[in-house]
Amino acid sequence: MKFGRRQVLQGATGAFGLPALAREASAQSRAETLRQVTGNVINTLDPTMPGATRESFGLSMNVYDRLVSFGRKPVEGGMAFDHGAIRGELAERYEASPDGLRFTFHLRPDAKWHDGTPVTAEDVKWSLDRHVSARSLAAPQLSTGSLTKPEQFRIAGPMTVEVLLEKPDRLALSNLCVPYAFMINSKLAKRHATADDPWAQAWLKENTAGSGAYMVERFRPGEQVILRRNDNWKGGADGKLPFFRRVIAQTVPEAATRGNLIERGDADLSIDLQASDIPAMLQRGRVKVVSIPQTNGFTHIAMNTRMAPFDNVKVRQAIAAALPYQDMFQASIFGQGRPLFGADWVESPPDGDFPQPMPLSTDPAKAQRLLSEAGLPDGFETSFAFSAGLAATSEPMAALIKESLERIGIRVEIQKMPDAQFNTMQAEKKLAFFSDGATAWLPATDYYFRLYFTRDQRWNFSSFNDPEMNALTQKAQFERDPAEYERMARRMIAILAEKAPELLLWQPNHDAVMARNIEGYTYWFHRQVDFRDLRRV
Amino acid sequence: MRLLGNIGRRTGQRLLSSVPALLGVVVLTFMLMRVLPGDPAVFFASGPSAGQEEIDNLRREMGLDRPIPEQLARYLLDIARGNLGRSLTTGQSVLTDLRQRLPASLELTLSALVIALGLALPLGIAAALRPNSIVDHAVRFVCTVGVCVPTFVSGLLLIYVFYYLLGMAPDPTGRIDIFAANPPDITGFLLVDFLIAGDMEGFQAAASQLVLPAFTMALFVLAPLARMTRASMLAVLGSDFIRTARSLGLSRRRVILTYALRNALLPVITITGIVFSTMLGANVLVEKVFSWPGVASYALDALLASDYAPVQGFVLLMASIFVMVNLAVDILYGIADPRASMS
Repeated sequence: MKFGRRQVLQGATGAFGLPALAREASAQSRAETLRQVTGNVINTLDPTMPGATRESFGLSMNVYDRLVSFGRKPVEGGMAFDHGAIRGELAERYEASPDGLRFTFHLRPDAKWHDGTPVTAEDVKWSLDRHVSARSLAAPQLSTGSLTKPEQFRIAGPMTVEVLLEKPDRLALSNLCVPYAFMINSKLAKRHATADDPWAQAWLKENTAGSGAYMVERFRPGEQVILRRNDNWKGGADGKLPFFRRVIAQTVPEAATRGNLIERGDADLSIDLQASDIPAMLQRGRVKVVSIPQTNGFTHIAMNTRMAPFDNVKVRQAIAAALPYQDMFQASIFGQGRPLFGADWVESPPDGDFPQPMPLSTDPAKAQRLLSEAGLPDGFETSFAFSAGLAATSEPMAALIKESLERIGIRVEIQKMPDAQFNTMQAEKKLAFFSDGATAWLPATDYYFRLYFTRDQRWNFSSFNDPEMNALTQKAQFERDPAEYERMARRMIAILAEKAPELLLWQPNHDAVMARNIEGYTYWFHRQVDFRDLRRV
Repeated sequence: MRLLGNIGRRTGQRLLSSVPALLGVVVLTFMLMRVLPGDPAVFFASGPSAGQEEIDNLRREMGLDRPIPEQLARYLLDIARGNLGRSLTTGQSVLTDLRQRLPASLELTLSALVIALGLALPLGIAAALRPNSIVDHAVRFVCTVGVCVPTFVSGLLLIYVFYYLLGMAPDPTGRIDIFAANPPDITGFLLVDFLIAGDMEGFQAAASQLVLPAFTMALFVLAPLARMTRASMLAVLGSDFIRTARSLGLSRRRVILTYALRNALLPVITITGIVFSTMLGANVLVEKVFSWPGVASYALDALLASDYAPVQGFVLLMASIFVMVNLAVDILYGIADPRASMS
């Protein structure tokens, strides 16, 4: 049994018969407290631990600083992150060398860890070393930005750190903005390191050693986390402190209850309510809903390109022509999002941004013709799978797919699978035809395609293997000429449209439901709440 | 003294004889979890960039790369050492999780049981005293409704009415108001801890959080308890000794409560034992609806994630509790009816 300092204090006052005092002390002004309710859990304070939930990433953004941070920009519906504008966070500023092989970070001279000790270049070096050396989720992520070994991180002065690259990787700097690249108080962490665990992974799972805007006051895995503002924080965009002094992130499994709590004004914010409840809430008008398309994600239908009959490109194109996109968009997410179908370009997309609408439209006659050309005029039998966790949106979609494919002779059996089973089958490439969602932390076109359409790895859902695509993604990663990069990006998108290993459907809205007096909500790439953006007016 | 010694000896024997059953349960759950489709390593290595290497690492870390008999032997050895493994869902050791969450479940279940018995016994007796009357039909109706409405429906309904519409109940999230201070952690039972700390305000707050979920559960188990009380009372009320008691002119109250009820209690105690065990395991829906941090919702989350250790630990815990409850029921038999011995 472990006791936090706070519990012990409460215990002491309680034992002396002064419980009211303890309650008064903890009852800070409600207005300066933000209460978030979520259906999911935070299971670790170290986001690089295998099994870390998405909520753990969100927490880590608030408790730790990274060297740099993405900016924010207004988008349709509200604010979203801006991966094109990277600013210093724990670093006051940074410089890139002209050849793109060296980044120099100048740390904030007045930055302090939560325990009050100053931040030094040694701490930063240790943290970066940890993320590329320790066995964790960080190393594979940072390797996507060519950050792979401790020799790449050099202390260039008491408050200066250099990151060295062998090739000018376009994503090296972006990778230092993700939750995995958090900066640790190395002196504190090293005190809890052991011979078996030189990076203090066991300790950091349950404790924090950061410099971020919030400090963990109480952490009950699976129940709640209570944060207290760090009044010495210097990493904000304008140097200002976040508005909320206290943040409570609480797990409330039932979506209807979460909705009730916010409507009653007892909770302030939830980002995982049921989409079907939101229209009624808007009508009652007691809450505010911020709906922003998930700009770095897409819902798709994947076809396993190594499994008959989907190994035949004509079959994939036939299915692409047969699906009722508009109906699916309405039935599945009530049209709440940005469609990624229905574009009218033919050979090449208008720009290199991804995801962008693809030239997908419903044309049953064309589907029938393609199927005949594929040598399957009478159709075939297959199954369409989705995970139970996404049933609310995937089930109506599956029914429409079954109905529309039946018209061209393809008989579909719908398979709804428990999440763990679905994930396992997906990773083992045993699913032929299925729907899933995908997001990328770093929304760069080459990164998407490298992650989702190349190599023999889990996220290549369709097991796509196209020599031109493979070459393009490898080359684009180190391309420094923007025009040339744009050309390559457009070509990758064109290949996806032509070969149809996956059909992009839409970017569902990220719905944040909040009390009407909460302002500043921003959609982040990790799809979690950044408490530092929020304020009550 | 002899009696106590006797009970002690028999208790020991019973506990000893339950060991093979517990072992069987452990082995069975262990095998079952591994037969289920779904690989925990894949599920948990689902970060944005986790590849096959991360999955293999995780599998190695969890010992899933070893042959199953070896995994089982290691698991049994760990249990013998009091180690139930680590939960990937919460990131803590299963023993810690269960120890933190079991009091929450027990507190809820016991309160629900007290409420259910407090309602079911009078209802059952009333129905038995006037079979086929309006009272009897009314009791039957209440029981039928209670058992027909699933707990998540009645739970959400109660929340909607008493929290959302009327605002009488506190917000239905967990065991204590999120803004209030926790009592010192002594027993883990909040009501008891508040009493020990002498904090009556806190006691009241915790009790008011408890009312809705406890009533939701009590409604659901009202039927078996009330029906069993009624049936058993009917049988006893028709027997010779009650007729004798009545003919001797004993007061009605004395006849019903002292002679009839005590004799009718045996089957009620049996069913109460069973109901209690079922409630503890089956209250997952109530725990989910009221965000109650109990063991059942913990086990469900783990099961959905194919997280082996917590599910196995949970089943072992439930089996042990079942053994204890059965034991308690047997001891209660002896108190309710000295003729029933504990053999």
